[in-house]
Amino acid sequence: MSAFSTGGAPRTDKAPEPDPDGQRPHLIYLAIGFPPAAKSSTYRMRETANQFAAQGWDVTVVNLEDDSWHLESGLDHTLSDKVDPRIEIVKLPLRREDVETDIRRYSEERAASPSTWLRALRARPQEQFPEAAFGDWRPALEEAVLRIHKDKPADLLLATCVPYVNLAAAWRLWEEASVPYAVDFRDGWSIDVVDGRVAFGPDTEEGRWEARILGSAVSLWVVNDPIAEHYRSRYPDFADRVHVVRNGYDADSTPGRAHKPDPASGLVFGYLGTISFSADHLGAVLEGWRRARRREPLLANARFEVRGHIGHGAARGATPQAQALQKAEADGVSYGGPVAKADVAATYAGWDAMVLILIGGRYVTSGKVYEYMATGLPIVSAHAVEHDASNVLQGHPLWTGAHGMGVESLADAFAAAAHLAVESTDAQHAEAMAHADQFTREAIMSKAVKRLIEQFEAEKGRTQ
Amino acid sequence: MIEVLLISGGAPPAALVADTVAKLTAAGGRVRYAGSVPDGYLERDLAGADLAETHKLPRSNPRRAARLPFGERVWIRSRKDQWLLERAARAHVIAALDDGGVYTVWQLAQRNRTAKAVNGFAPAIDAVRELAAHGGPPEPGPFRAPASLVARDFGRAAKDLPAAAVRLASSRRVMNNRLGAKLWRLPLRIPGVPEGLRIAIGKRVAEAMVWARRHADAEYVLAQTASKTSDPETKAQLLDEAVKLAADRGVNPKYVDPAVAARLVLADRDLAAGNLVGAASHLKRAFLWGFHRVIHIDQLSTKLSTDTAGFIKPFHDSQVMRQFATPRGRRLPAAPPPTGRPVRLLVMTSANDNFLGHILGRYRNHPDVEVRYLDLATHSSLKRIAWSDTQMILNRLGHDDGYAALAEDLLRPYLDWADTVFLDWCVGPAAMLTTVDPGDTRIVVRLHSYEAFTRWPLLVDFSRIDDLVFVADHVRDLAKTLVPQLRGPLAPRMPMVHNAMELAGFAREKTADARFNLGLVGVSQVAKDPLWALEVLRLLRAEDERYRLLVVGGDMNPNLNKATRKYFREYEKELEPLVGSGAVLRLGPTDDVAGKLTDVGFILSSSVREGCHVGLMEGAASGAVPVVRDWPFYAGKAHSARTLYPEGWVVATPEEAARRVLAVNTTEESWRDAAKLANEYALSTWDWSVVSADFDELLLGKRP
Repeated sequence: MSAFSTGGAPRTDKAPEPDPDGQRPHLIYLAIGFPPAAKSSTYRMRETANQFAAQGWDVTVVNLEDDSWHLESGLDHTLSDKVDPRIEIVKLPLRREDVETDIRRYSEERAASPSTWLRALRARPQEQFPEAAFGDWRPALEEAVLRIHKDKPADLLLATCVPYVNLAAAWRLWEEASVPYAVDFRDGWSIDVVDGRVAFGPDTEEGRWEARILGSAVSLWVVNDPIAEHYRSRYPDFADRVHVVRNGYDADSTPGRAHKPDPASGLVFGYLGTISFSADHLGAVLEGWRRARRREPLLANARFEVRGHIGHGAARGATPQAQALQKAEADGVSYGGPVAKADVAATYAGWDAMVLILIGGRYVTSGKVYEYMATGLPIVSAHAVEHDASNVLQGHPLWTGAHGMGVESLADAFAAAAHLAVESTDAQHAEAMAHADQFTREAIMSKAVKRLIEQFEAEKGRTQ
Repeated sequence: MIEVLLISGGAPPAALVADTVAKLTAAGGRVRYAGSVPDGYLERDLAGADLAETHKLPRSNPRRAARLPFGERVWIRSRKDQWLLERAARAHVIAALDDGGVYTVWQLAQRNRTAKAVNGFAPAIDAVRELAAHGGPPEPGPFRAPASLVARDFGRAAKDLPAAAVRLASSRRVMNNRLGAKLWRLPLRIPGVPEGLRIAIGKRVAEAMVWARRHADAEYVLAQTASKTSDPETKAQLLDEAVKLAADRGVNPKYVDPAVAARLVLADRDLAAGNLVGAASHLKRAFLWGFHRVIHIDQLSTKLSTDTAGFIKPFHDSQVMRQFATPRGRRLPAAPPPTGRPVRLLVMTSANDNFLGHILGRYRNHPDVEVRYLDLATHSSLKRIAWSDTQMILNRLGHDDGYAALAEDLLRPYLDWADTVFLDWCVGPAAMLTTVDPGDTRIVVRLHSYEAFTRWPLLVDFSRIDDLVFVADHVRDLAKTLVPQLRGPLAPRMPMVHNAMELAGFAREKTADARFNLGLVGVSQVAKDPLWALEVLRLLRAEDERYRLLVVGGDMNPNLNKATRKYFREYEKELEPLVGSGAVLRLGPTDDVAGKLTDVGFILSSSVREGCHVGLMEGAASGAVPVVRDWPFYAGKAHSARTLYPEGWVVATPEEAARRVLAVNTTEESWRDAAKLANEYALSTWDWSVVSADFDELLLGKRP
């Protein structure tokens, strides 16, 4: 087992297989959000790169400088500890203008009216690439992949999106040096996963880019079946190259302990994840919690701990959601900031039930749902009924079900979870953990990378 | 020590400031705060924050700054503030806590070139930690503006000279003088003044009068200028400004009718020219002025109720409204309730679920019903489009900007699932819902009361609604007068169904002195008119000092607008001695209304308008004798409080109310008899055990 595995499931750690000329194959991995960025997609990127390294590839990751992540998602250096040291990381000096907090970098126009300036920035036509906030990065990304390829020829490029501007760099390398590429769309581009509708048509600039890119890609990864179905039906000629690569969870993030709640000192409910849902969404959850606490004796002294990144740029830690959490302190709610990846398991170990707050519907699965399942704790669902997380949770013995965002339903779910926390047996707890076994990230990514390498080799064989 | 200066243009959340200051201090900072904040904020709200110093920045704008972006205004009024300049000169970190503070920090950072200048709470903490980690801050250099900034400011000042000269001639001192103000009106009235010059003078004089706080005069000047302006666009803009001046201050605007008329003229003009975007924009503005809440919601009377037909006529006379209000109907009729499986009921609202608890509770536990609940406020995309009136109007006028497709995509999964949709409140979400053909899903919408005083019912396509439910007949009458679609061939059914209320729990034993206690439940809006109740109390106490008034519920928010503030002040003034003498007990907000009502022998409804007064109905159920003002918005009409409540409960005046109380209370026995009758009537008419059958019939098509 590799030292850089996330532990748990057996991994396919085959020895590197050099090319006939003795060189290990080389992957350029466009992974904007790679560690130490603390994005929700970072874990998937880390495991992808580690798997390529473990399966005999040299990997060069393209990411941003740490300062840029500090402004956006924040940093978690503990994430870097388990990056395979053989992986090269190129950090580009690109910054998102919209999340800049250094006022010395502001124009006078921006300083005078920050919100007007921001609206104008977002409405500005994207000349380089059709993607707000990131489109201007195209030249830098193209130049970076060409330079990396020149220094060390690449055999394959894998672009994970967002940002979608990565696709322009993949295309440039393909056009100029015929380096094949694959795409990890995760949530998809032409499907708006939150609203569950087509995001843009084929005759738009984005539509033309997507069709062009997918037309020559070795493979496309997405995180769930509904998104895969969208791509298979939109691009029937490409259907066999679309693969579902679920997010899964890292085995070292699970508490792996016997479940021992202590109602006398207060049950502890927890949420861990980026706080990206709306203030109204959070408001419904907090109101449900308040009502449940008032009527369910088991919850009278319970606490609800919320952890994770909240807001970015100037609004980091100061969003309406942060204020709502602060106001709910009297109801036993607390916000404790982000948790370093290394401390995730210990955080879960202190909780008795999980609160799964998710946006979107049938096209959204999230990564959290897998990690939450793996804790073996009761789960309260605070999301739409028709949600892909519901599909994943189906059969979980300690799940209170998805009943939508009605305050009363949420209150009922909190009360039910309190009973499950106290009354569930160790056997049920173990059964709940076992429900998650099929979703260890390492097992999922190992299989996905292996299949991609095989597709790449088959493609190479055909072209040779 | 790292010197930190926090700056804001408004009042930031105090708890967040306190939390940030604690972190900054822990990181080695000494923190000062300066904000352009209301009186009392520093002393009251920030008392718990461990700040070394606090300072209130000036809030009065120099006249030339009045139209600048807010951030620039904050700087212009603070730039000579010695406290600010001195602290900024020696600060190591200067942080803006909101958008309004950013420009001031930007300017100060031009003068203090070594300080870190950051935007936001967390970035301020990061900046201090970074300085601490690098061995402390550098010594600040000289504090002065760079030459480039000085030169630029000088250039701007020179450019502004002509306007400055006019401002001098129309200064606050001149305008505060009646003669000065009158003299300036002359060029607006005398003939022969070129139109362009008249408009320019009118705007400048209005600006000066606002500056001199002569707002009503400013409105007059703008309206007068508009009346002599031939260009319809300019005329509408001037009238907009006149209305806005009043509405922004919470004052009932005088020139609403001409402002609405001017916008409708422009809407018709653009419609005729095929400019639908322009027509929609003008119609929206006409709606905004015509239905401004200051005019209808926060007043004790409105033309909308005294002369409903006259009020709405200009809208319906316009061509744009005729095109807009054309019903589109639906391709399929609503399907009959399914057999062989439970009815799928989707209950929708946007944030306000106050009247849904019993309905949801009943059908969640009903074997023949499968319920889903959608709170649009918790669904970001639906929330975004649920109130987009411009796009709704454009869609109805026939302009496709993708709105209908978006609504269709977002709503279709819900419509496909549901057999019946029950949407509470006939506001934006109802208008959004009816941009979509519902297929064979039955659509039921409930209109309570306040919605009729907003523009929203005019934006709803009722030909796509099967049942429009009212909680009172008089609201139905009002809605039908306002909305022609409700009188047309594609009008929905319009049943009246009482609110879902569990009243049985209110019938509790009264306390010994309850029969001398009047109760008023809910005083949070001007429309509740609690001053009327105080007058009843005054009349009763003149007869018998044992009478008291118990006020249950939170107060109205005086910061909502000037109309509310004015009423609230008057109410407080009247109330204060009565509270002091024990004649009035303010019980405040409570979760236990039933418990409070055990002390109440007479329950009052003093409102100028109500749909159905829930507090009154709960009071009656508790065994308090109802005394209901004949709500003036509906008094004398076919339906009113007199038709909603039993004979004898409703009175016209405070005197009549007092007489009713005294007559009922002649003896304890007579009071008990009246109370018993009220209790029996309430439980047999409005209790959920009775009303739930009406809901079954409405939603399931059958009575239990």
